[in-house]
Amino acid sequence: MAALIDPSRDSGVPGGKQILAFADAAIGPDRPALDRARADLAGALGPKAVPAASAIAATFTKNDRLANGTGIPSELPMLKNSKDIRAELGINDFRTSVYSRTHYPDEM
Amino acid sequence: MTLYADSEYPVRAEIDRAHAAQLDHLADPGTWGDAAQRLAVAREVREACYEAGVQEKHDGAGPDSDVELPEAAREMIRHLAVSPRDFNQQSYESARSGGLSDEEYVEIVGIVSRLTCMDVFARGIGVPLRPLPAARGGKASGVRPGVARKELAWVPTVPNLPEGGEEARAIFGEGYRPYILRSLSLVPDEFRQSVELEEAQYLPMKNIMIKDYQHHEGFSRSQVELIAGRVSAVNECFY
Repeated sequence: MAALIDPSRDSGVPGGKQILAFADAAIGPDRPALDRARADLAGALGPKAVPAASAIAATFTKNDRLANGTGIPSELPMLKNSKDIRAELGINDFRTSVYSRTHYPDEM
Repeated sequence: MTLYADSEYPVRAEIDRAHAAQLDHLADPGTWGDAAQRLAVAREVREACYEAGVQEKHDGAGPDSDVELPEAAREMIRHLAVSPRDFNQQSYESARSGGLSDEEYVEIVGIVSRLTCMDVFARGIGVPLRPLPAARGGKASGVRPGVARKELAWVPTVPNLPEGGEEARAIFGEGYRPYILRSLSLVPDEFRQSVELEEAQYLPMKNIMIKDYQHHEGFSRSQVELIAGRVSAVNECFY
């Protein structure tokens, strides 16, 4: 999980290094880096991994804008179950945590 | 002829069909904006992304438009399209005080989110952005769920069952829907379009709790969640 915040860490997922590099490049401004990351991903996991990874990056591009654009809080059960991991990864420091903190201050 | 026939990588037919339908749908009048206004929102998204360097401009992006969007709309579109991590309640309130209704605001959030989604996919597989269509005539429907109300989001949402009643059942079907799905429910058509992308690109919602469910051939659920988590971390999406 730490690799989500620090991509230099080992995720333990097959092709994780290439997947994380592709995720950053897909939503970043460095086009040559994206072209390299795409080729590396295809080399590591095969050509079908490229549209698969693109589809997931695209989906969460959408969902992050939905969440941050409408100010939705996380559901209470999700907050209760993620307390330790949020603290470990520093996710509570995200600016958008305020939407959940406002409604569920005891769960932060 | 498929939408991504020029892709070097094999795109699933389900995604190809969904994106083709979504782009075509932008040519129709929506719920609060007509087709020309909705396409003006889409063009504003792309201009903002070109300027931010996260998309590359190319010829054949679709017909020009002479629709001038209100400044409040242009500002929120550009902000949400390129910098969701620091979009905040003040951004929303500025849009509202600038003249956008909650209904118009939600429809715009839906269009910005869906178009950035499809454009990130195109750039990810290495093809130019797909052209936007020409606007078709007609008026916006103005359909608003009567049961929508302020819950815990900034914008009104349709409550889950049983509070949401028959309108909730008609929009969501049976079962609980988390906020991420209900965020656009003030504009049910945007809710439906967003879920269509979700199911084609991520996984069918009915399978979300199956931990090892694999929707993409050769790409495991743990690989899916790794890229999902990383994108959301970069965008600082707490949800």
